[in-house]
Amino acid sequence: MGMRNLKTLVPLLAVVALAIVPLLVTDRFLLKIFTFAGINVLVIIGLALLFGHAGQVSLGHAAFVGVGAYTCAYCTVELHWPWLLAFLLAGVFASVGGLILALPSLRLKGHYLAMATLSFGLLMTLLFTEAEFITGGVDGFGGISFPSLGPFEIREASSLYWLVWIVVAIALVGAFNLTSLRPGRAMRALHGSELGAQACGVDIVGVKVRTFVVSALLAGFAGALYASVVGFISPSVFTLNASIAFLAMTVVGGSGSLAGPIVAAILLTLVQYLEALIPGIPRETAQTLQSFQEDIYGLAIILVVIFAPGGLATMWKRRLSKGKTS
Amino acid sequence: MTLLQVRNVTKRFGGLTAVDDVSFDVFEGTIKALIGPNGAGKSTLFNSLTGFDRPDEGSVLFDGAELVGRKPRETVRAGVARTFQNTQLFEEMTAAENVMVGCQAHQPKGFTTALLRLPMAHGEDREAREEAARLLRLIGVEEWLDAQAADLPAGIRRLVEIARALATKPRLLLLDEPAAGLNETETRELVDTLFRVRDTGITVVIVEHDMGLVMDVSDEIVVIDRGRKIAEGPPRMIQKDPAVIAAYLGEEADDDD
Repeated sequence: MGMRNLKTLVPLLAVVALAIVPLLVTDRFLLKIFTFAGINVLVIIGLALLFGHAGQVSLGHAAFVGVGAYTCAYCTVELHWPWLLAFLLAGVFASVGGLILALPSLRLKGHYLAMATLSFGLLMTLLFTEAEFITGGVDGFGGISFPSLGPFEIREASSLYWLVWIVVAIALVGAFNLTSLRPGRAMRALHGSELGAQACGVDIVGVKVRTFVVSALLAGFAGALYASVVGFISPSVFTLNASIAFLAMTVVGGSGSLAGPIVAAILLTLVQYLEALIPGIPRETAQTLQSFQEDIYGLAIILVVIFAPGGLATMWKRRLSKGKTS
Repeated sequence: MTLLQVRNVTKRFGGLTAVDDVSFDVFEGTIKALIGPNGAGKSTLFNSLTGFDRPDEGSVLFDGAELVGRKPRETVRAGVARTFQNTQLFEEMTAAENVMVGCQAHQPKGFTTALLRLPMAHGEDREAREEAARLLRLIGVEEWLDAQAADLPAGIRRLVEIARALATKPRLLLLDEPAAGLNETETRELVDTLFRVRDTGITVVIVEHDMGLVMDVSDEIVVIDRGRKIAEGPPRMIQKDPAVIAAYLGEEADDDD
């Protein structure tokens, strides 16, 4: 089979697989896990653009998810606005955060940008905790209603699954269009060499700002979906640990790719719920794994950086090109 | 016609004057070489011409318009393209993709058209792809079209970077040591390439250490030593210039410290 066929077949199989999940899985908790995977994928598509393509590191992405989640929760519960409006507003507010975080990226690179985004993330966690009149502080924000489109409330586990993955699909099509055309080349050029990109007339300020904004927008949408699916949010969800987990998924997935990070996001999300996924697994084993979740993520980053610097994406690209020559 | 007028350009880094009151002209359709010992200030001068550095004093007129104070992107749009001493290719992209990025300099922004994959974005993409193939052919490296930049041999990297610079449709092309890392055959091919580029109407300024190449291609040479211009003229005159000979004989002693 040629590489071209494979390239169209694999995404097609992925879509079919995702579509039949709600038909095969009747357990509501299991479906919720796959829904969470979709929410993470949404964040990771944004981070794959920002970090994987444009090479701008963000250790504060959970903050954007938080901004989206609280915006959606506040607008629906306190202001009684329609869910769709709240959802869109969640994206807008997170984008504004992205715009703010883009500013240091214009001056800082590498470790320094990592430190700046990390501080941003910590600051936002503090804000979620302290701005009690909006967020409910450490006690959290509960009673968030399910998503609704006009008179239709989406509360069935399978409907929520569909809603999340449809949003993911739309985001993915947009992201794929960007990466396969001119804007994606500008992003990867920026990653490859800022000097070279400038010498080609690339508007590096524009590329950085736009990519940060798009990436924050998707994280904001993901936050809104999370709040509406779970019904309860608290600052402990949107911490540095979550940001690191997102970054781990992106690194394991590989740079310059969308498929790699998406697969990594799904796998690393599912790892957290082994107990529910593999019926026979002893309870203690699952719990041990869960308590070591952050360590697993850290280990994944280290292993990938040492043994497969290009992540999953490069691994299968190599395999494909090897198959082509032999 | 004078395409580029460099007037009294001075650039200081702390106490060091890297470029000291340098002036010269470049005529349209010619190849001019900038030579001088290591650390003479040639690359700094290049940066001052392309917006990567802002000279402390002086003026750079390109076709009558001031370049000093413009951003790199703006000088590219104005028609001045460059390569780097340390090639600045996009390693994870193919040679063709590298050149396609250069094509963006004169395309409309098109973020939304790309996001929605409108027909316009596709047309633009195809044009850039064809242009990249054409330029790589012009430079003679078309067989590397789909090779990852990171996998390219040193000589080919420099040529791909030239193709990428040409993609920005320059009137003036600045090449920073294009022959570095090239073997003899490749250097000879580079000479042909430079003539072919010039024959398309593009004016060329090169910084180069390979004296054979410099004498072969350049119509005029500017010699810089310790930031100052010490000589200017056609190759035959420069070869006999006592100040130039002194600067080059002194080079080895300078290298020791």
